[in-house]
Amino acid sequence: MTVHSSPLNPGTLSAGGPAAAVIETTALTKRYPGPVTALDGLTVAVEPGITGLVGSNGAGKSTLIKVLLGLLPPTSGQAKVLGRDCASEASQIRTLTGYMPEHDCLPPDVSATEFVTHLGRMSGLPATAAKERAAETLRHVGLYEERYRQIGTYSTGMKQRVKLAQALVGDPRLLLLDEPTNGLDPAGRATMLELIARIGGEFGIAVVVASHLLGEVEQICDHLVAIDGGRLLRAASMSSFTQASQVLAIEVEEGTDRLAAELARRGLQPVAQQRELLVRLAGEDTFDTVRDAIADLGLPLNRMEQRRHRVEELFRGDQAPAADPEGAAHVS
Amino acid sequence: MSADHTMAGHGLAPRSGGGVIHDIGYRSYEGERLSRGRIVLALCWHSLRSAFGIGRGVKAKIVPVLTFAIMCLPAVVDAVVVNRTGTRQVSYDTYTPAIRILVMIVFLAAQAPELVSRDLRSHVLPLYFARPISRLDYPLAKLTAFILACLAMIEIPLLILYLGTIAQAHGGSAIWSETKALIPGLLVGLMWSVLLASIALAIASLTGRRAYATGGIAIFFLLTLTLGRILIRVSIQSAAIHGAVGLGPVGHPPPAAQFYALISPFTVLDGVRQWLGGATKLSGPGTIGSPGSYGPLFGVMLLVFLGASLAILAARYRKVGIS
Repeated sequence: MTVHSSPLNPGTLSAGGPAAAVIETTALTKRYPGPVTALDGLTVAVEPGITGLVGSNGAGKSTLIKVLLGLLPPTSGQAKVLGRDCASEASQIRTLTGYMPEHDCLPPDVSATEFVTHLGRMSGLPATAAKERAAETLRHVGLYEERYRQIGTYSTGMKQRVKLAQALVGDPRLLLLDEPTNGLDPAGRATMLELIARIGGEFGIAVVVASHLLGEVEQICDHLVAIDGGRLLRAASMSSFTQASQVLAIEVEEGTDRLAAELARRGLQPVAQQRELLVRLAGEDTFDTVRDAIADLGLPLNRMEQRRHRVEELFRGDQAPAADPEGAAHVS
Repeated sequence: MSADHTMAGHGLAPRSGGGVIHDIGYRSYEGERLSRGRIVLALCWHSLRSAFGIGRGVKAKIVPVLTFAIMCLPAVVDAVVVNRTGTRQVSYDTYTPAIRILVMIVFLAAQAPELVSRDLRSHVLPLYFARPISRLDYPLAKLTAFILACLAMIEIPLLILYLGTIAQAHGGSAIWSETKALIPGLLVGLMWSVLLASIALAIASLTGRRAYATGGIAIFFLLTLTLGRILIRVSIQSAAIHGAVGLGPVGHPPPAAQFYALISPFTVLDGVRQWLGGATKLSGPGTIGSPGSYGPLFGVMLLVFLGASLAILAARYRKVGIS
């Protein structure tokens, strides 16, 4: 990844080699009065690149981000961002970090240019630099002539991009994105994910994407951190997840039983789930085997879809993700 | 359409205009970073401009421009009158109380929400707090900006009055005595600005609904002023009926009237002004004339108003904006 040499560059990113952690938490706990435990002894290290922070709603993703930014004090434990302590060096962390909140945070009656310029200044850029970077950043997120219009007239997709632009304008070393695809249609989601992938790859900025949709973040992530109930379920690189989790779902108009028997005969161990058959996807051969089986039986094929398990299935227990179709069969 | 732009990646990005622009790719920022203090200063400047609608649409400028013009009117008129009569008709330390009070209420009610309620309404605060400034920097910058805005509203007319007068003055001693009269007036204006801006911002910070904030500020100032005046008048009249206190035009009002004068920030400000040596006495229904020996009480009340406002602001911004 690109190593930047701004005066505020912590040096820890490059000093420790590519594996140096961008975020490190140790037994991090946050309890709200209530008592609600949002983070429960969370110990995790996040490496440079794009990291998916996945978990269901209420798993503690947003709380973790706020603690990392120094907006919430942890009840106990420690957190470090870019080698700096979240409790004592929050201001420095916030200089080096861009934050895109989950909820709407844009005033309707100013233009994107004015808004991002102002927030660039709030990130510590001098007036001229803020203007230049606002224009550049808005261009990077794909807002051109529209940027002079009032934000109130924007579509949801454009608003999400303004939110991303304001996080990016201060040239952060780390981006914390909270549910960046919230409220977007499928095309908008794809565009946003593409943009995030580009920021993490081409721009060389470490990115943490919090999402409750594993299927989405897994497309762009290098690493995954899964939390549930404020605890770490699993943290690993993306490749170690995908190997074991690929499933092929097959739906035929009729003769599901005959196909199941035929697939079993060919050694695929199919599992029925509602109207579908699930087989473990071992490689390209699996596609051929399934295709041949259907063709030989002359069955009308409705659908054949490559799929991954949902978060809960992947991270169930401390074991390796439920790789066999039997695991999937219990779901639903 | 916009999606295509993003998808274009690096290289040549198509543009809606039909031409192409060269995408230079991401550039990191190597330049200077401002310190926290200078970021707060930038926020303060931004807020001061927005208090007068600068950098906003035409509609945002109507109220500030109109109120400022009305506020300056007595000073301009006086400058013209001085030309004929040779003496200044408007005093520096009270200016024209009726106009000043009314115009300031309108200005505070219209512009304080502009500074704080808008940000609350659009939930933009998390973006500020995710930046290098600390939690109380935000209300500090907003308050400083609004005090400066009120200062401009109050002091600029005084300066116009001063310039208009000394333009007709003959000799250095006349100018010097005019200057000596101006300085207390400026200090009174400072006192007004600090107190009124603090109260108005504290009320505005309680709600993101602009209409509620404007209504709340206007009602607070008008209600306390009217209520105070009525009660003062009633207590002076009843004292006169019972013959307990002899009443001259500027005689000492009964103690009850002094306490009622503590209800409104405006009468408190005037009490403190006189306690600190302001010579001009206000007369008319609902005024106490002079605070007499109750002067320190007015001073305490001013600090109570100010302290409560600052406490509300601080408490508000310690909590808001992280959820």
